[in-house]
Amino acid sequence: MLVECFRLFYTFVKLGFLSFGGGYAMLSMVISEAQHFSVSPAQFADLNALDMVVPGPIAINAATYVGYRYQGLLGAAAATIGVSLPSFVLTVVIMRLFVHFRDNVWLTDTLSGIKSAAVGLIAAAAITIAAEVLTVPGKNIGDVFHNPIGTLSLVCVIIFLSTAVLNIRFKVNPILLTVLAGVVGAVVMS
Amino acid sequence: MVPVIERDAVEKHQLLSKDEFMEYATLSQTMPGVIALNCATLVGRRAAGTLGMLVAGFGAILPTFALMVLATILANMIPQHGPLLGAIRGIRAASAALVLSAAFSLGRYNLRNAFSVILMIAAFVLVVLGNFGAPTIVVLSGVVGCIYQRIRRYRERRRDNAC
Repeated sequence: MLVECFRLFYTFVKLGFLSFGGGYAMLSMVISEAQHFSVSPAQFADLNALDMVVPGPIAINAATYVGYRYQGLLGAAAATIGVSLPSFVLTVVIMRLFVHFRDNVWLTDTLSGIKSAAVGLIAAAAITIAAEVLTVPGKNIGDVFHNPIGTLSLVCVIIFLSTAVLNIRFKVNPILLTVLAGVVGAVVMS
Repeated sequence: MVPVIERDAVEKHQLLSKDEFMEYATLSQTMPGVIALNCATLVGRRAAGTLGMLVAGFGAILPTFALMVLATILANMIPQHGPLLGAIRGIRAASAALVLSAAFSLGRYNLRNAFSVILMIAAFVLVVLGNFGAPTIVVLSGVVGCIYQRIRRYRERRRDNAC
């Protein structure tokens, strides 16, 4: 129990120090580490839906969620403190040394790379989640090339594509889209 | 959350000046970590030292932590069969689409030149097909960014000298 919690803590400290530029970039790293804490991509999709109803930073939500799923309340605390630690440490370091973070050339150069890669990482996270939640329960996404009709759930694929188009192209409210998806799913797939 | 901190810390309680706050708000986005929390710890430490930092930081974490634990417990209680399972599967499909949408909106800001597009594609391919972990890609892309910007400046200087 304590060993698992320490592993959670350590992982989230690492992710915290590597998380530049906002919640979704962080989320893509959490999802790639979550498999070590038996949190599946489908459960990650649930987290993304819960993010809409729970106020607060996405990264803290994600840490609390993964920690709780893996080791209950203690795990949630370990992961959350872990992801928060960099803010405390860096605040002390920056203010004590008067590091001019903003004008640091090394930092802006590094950020130029990370910000570009983050877009690809988030897209990869979306594909990882989609690969699991768009398949018929019990089927493996690996079969999609042999048997696309039997592997993919048509309703889920339609919901996925229409949500993507409506949100990206027409800026339809994500909460509305999620509720609609739930209603359509309940009516069609029960 | 940052605008809320500004309203309460600068205007209501006058813990620091607006200029100082803007400096910290920018800094909290540049340094790694959770942006809203960075802002809280910086303002807390400026206003009341290390204790202020701890109080502000934990104040920022606790409500989110408590609500998320509660939400996870409640979500676990939803029965996973019948119409509710259908609803959950629909919501999960929409969730995946919204993550994809986040990639699009971030891409509109972050992808400004060929270098960043190549880096984006490389990151995507390495994670999806190469089984690389995202943290590894973050470190690698940081190093690549450093090297690329240095080469770019070097070439610009040489061109300027040649003129």
